[in-house]
Amino acid sequence: MSLALQLVGIRKSFDGALALDGASFESQAGEVHALLGENGAGKSSLMNVAAGLYAPDAGSIFIDGVAVSLSGPAAARQHGIGMVHQHFKLVKPFTVAENVLLANRQPHFSSGMRDIRATIEKQVAELKFAIDPDRRIDTMTVAEQQQVEIVKVLVGGVRILILDEPTAVLTDAEAIGLLEIVQRLARSGTAVVLVTHKLHEVKRYADVVTIMRGGKTVARLDPRQSSAAQLTELTVGQTLALPERTPHRGGPTRLNVGALTYTRGDGRSMLNNLSFYVRAGEIYGIAGVSGNGQAELAEALIGAIESSSGEIWLDGVGDISRASQAKRREAAIAAIPADRYAYALAGSLPITDNLAVAQIRSGRYGSLIRLDRSAMRRDAVAAVRDYDVQGVRSINQKASLLSGGNAQKLVIAREFSRAPEVVVAHSPSRGLDARACAAVHQSLIEARERGAAIVLISEDLDEILSLSDRIGVMTRGAIAGEFARPADRQAIGRAMVDHG
Amino acid sequence: MDDLSRQAGPLISPAPSASRRLGRLNLDVRQDLAPWKQAVFVGASLMSGLAISIAILALAGIAPLTLASELAGVLTTENLRGVLIQAAPLILVGLSASLAFRIGFWNLGIEGQMVFGGIFAAAISIYDVGPPTTRLLLMGAAAALGGALWVLLPVFLKIRFRVNEIIATLLLNYVAMYFLFHLLYGAWQDSKTAFPQSSPFRPFERLTDIGYGVNSGLVIAIAGVLAAGWLIHLSRIGFYTRFISANPRMAKIVGVPVQATTVWIIAASGACAGLAGFVNVASQEGRLTQSYANGYVFSGVLIAFLSRNDPIVVAIVGFLIAVLFITGQTLQVFYQIPFTMVQMIEAIIVMAVASSEFLIRHRIRWIR
Repeated sequence: MSLALQLVGIRKSFDGALALDGASFESQAGEVHALLGENGAGKSSLMNVAAGLYAPDAGSIFIDGVAVSLSGPAAARQHGIGMVHQHFKLVKPFTVAENVLLANRQPHFSSGMRDIRATIEKQVAELKFAIDPDRRIDTMTVAEQQQVEIVKVLVGGVRILILDEPTAVLTDAEAIGLLEIVQRLARSGTAVVLVTHKLHEVKRYADVVTIMRGGKTVARLDPRQSSAAQLTELTVGQTLALPERTPHRGGPTRLNVGALTYTRGDGRSMLNNLSFYVRAGEIYGIAGVSGNGQAELAEALIGAIESSSGEIWLDGVGDISRASQAKRREAAIAAIPADRYAYALAGSLPITDNLAVAQIRSGRYGSLIRLDRSAMRRDAVAAVRDYDVQGVRSINQKASLLSGGNAQKLVIAREFSRAPEVVVAHSPSRGLDARACAAVHQSLIEARERGAAIVLISEDLDEILSLSDRIGVMTRGAIAGEFARPADRQAIGRAMVDHG
Repeated sequence: MDDLSRQAGPLISPAPSASRRLGRLNLDVRQDLAPWKQAVFVGASLMSGLAISIAILALAGIAPLTLASELAGVLTTENLRGVLIQAAPLILVGLSASLAFRIGFWNLGIEGQMVFGGIFAAAISIYDVGPPTTRLLLMGAAAALGGALWVLLPVFLKIRFRVNEIIATLLLNYVAMYFLFHLLYGAWQDSKTAFPQSSPFRPFERLTDIGYGVNSGLVIAIAGVLAAGWLIHLSRIGFYTRFISANPRMAKIVGVPVQATTVWIIAASGACAGLAGFVNVASQEGRLTQSYANGYVFSGVLIAFLSRNDPIVVAIVGFLIAVLFITGQTLQVFYQIPFTMVQMIEAIIVMAVASSEFLIRHRIRWIR
């Protein structure tokens, strides 16, 4: 084994905010090196420096023991460094081969295209991927697009492969497949850096782990020799307890979804006579392999799409399946959508406004003709404090400047500000680190204790199992089976795949 | 944080061997910039735009000193009256454009809405509606209604059939214009002169001076500025508007009445344009003419852009553009400078201010 990549004393600040504070990192050829840390710990920033995307303010980069200065991603590529970003850098209407060609320029277009296609096919066969070089990116699933990204950097002859949160967008099975391939790549001599905040991935697939906290690298150890608690403590700085809960009291039925059907624009039936009910003070978990209609169910409940038939009955309100979003708000439905930047926040507007918008119609923040800015500010300061939203330099700063976990806390602060009767949460902890995830779960449990009916839709089975009072397994747009707490993980897993 | 403070790639990427000596030009996205610093950037860009314009005028034979004295001349009482009369419709079309742009509706139909503002106002005069004391008020209200109704047609097309409003509003300008010609060559033609104009308005149907050389058209414009400023900055509709333009899907889900707000804001935009038409026919022309709306789309878009869609700034920018217009007319008459030169200066200033936007959003640093 030899030292492939070495970063020493890297500092980087963005407009005054220090993202990297003297971080150091080294990775050997032939090993999977995990870079573990919370959201905003500086993992992605550090790797973006290694990939030539960010120019560091201070510090040095060594590749194979030689000091280099990277003028950009192309220079990094010349040194054999390739990075697969969390947000894929692919041109959607282009084919696989075209995208790979774009990143690995050839002297002649048509002969280059031929060569590239041959190289892709060789690479794909080696990795046992199922990718057709002539398929367009926008017809592919997220997992397939990620494979294209990997092929793209490998075709360029990469010796140092950086994967930024590669499993965040994948299902469990897809993630396992990917991590096994990554391990094989390392065994054949590539230095792999795996940026992640998932402990079990680190424990299972990494040879070495470097832990980051607050822009610094705080520890470097062998994951097989360290316990999960030890790793958590190093990443978070303290150990986290599971949220406490009282046994379910069995309240009245608050939400009843009856024979809900939704057919997508392309004719595909996404919800298929879906029925379930949720009682007050109950968390109803919906498990399932992604793409079985969970997203559509969440959208139908919060009113982003209108179901084709069926009813969404709310205790004391009636059927709201045709009601406007404003009406649903009045009925005290809180929405925590999976894609918070698309459906829950206006990134370019201040934190204050993002918090106030849900209650503006109630008159809490002034009349139609005059906004009450000071009431908004007062509530925003309280919400930021109560929900422990970190990284807020001013409540007037743009919401998009918050990291994922803190943006989610902001959404929850807003949605829970009016003591909701029904909560619809879709993958509420997706992309969040351990601490933010615990805070989100704590909020859901608290809402349950207050007597809200909670629909928790998640592809993360651990999340479903630890929080739900009852679990419905969703396949092909319907509930295929229901399980009471404590549920048998194996049985749920079987129900998920049997029908899917 | 990691995802959000994205960086653009290097502007210049020297070969790896040379990079150690030269370093690289680094572009950071700024998170926020103090308002006074933003003002400094915009001010400096404006100055450089003016400097380029002065240089071009100098090449065309107007010495900077002559230019300075002409500019000073514009601000004398005599010319100031002209500037203020010109400023009123400019401010109103600036408001019209900024209201629509705020909600992401590209209203390029300002001229058509002005035409209908003028037609509706003239109809009140021609059909002698209401007593003389309330006549002007009625004409103004009719003009606002006319402008609003004419813009609601493309709004309907957009909401119902997803017709692109840029094309719809722009082309409806021609429809409005030819309808105006139809009236002026037909039923509304001045029977005394047989020119394609309406008969002159009666004295109580005209916007007159209210003293100190200030035309009452300017009063309408200032009232519009205050109303739009209130609507955008203080009212609940303004709050909704910000969410609709920032993230319409999200706005809808959190219960913002997206469609109603959009329709009302665009109707207000049309009403402002209609009032601009009324001001032009009732103060400058004194009758319905063929050309009272010509060229105002460009000016409206320009003023909205320069003032970043802020109604209060629209008032200042509208005044400055009026100064530019009147100076341009003077230069045209006394120095034989073509009017296209004035338009070119406008364009240079717009580009200069537009480029300051880049410096406000990014920080450029030279690293090592």
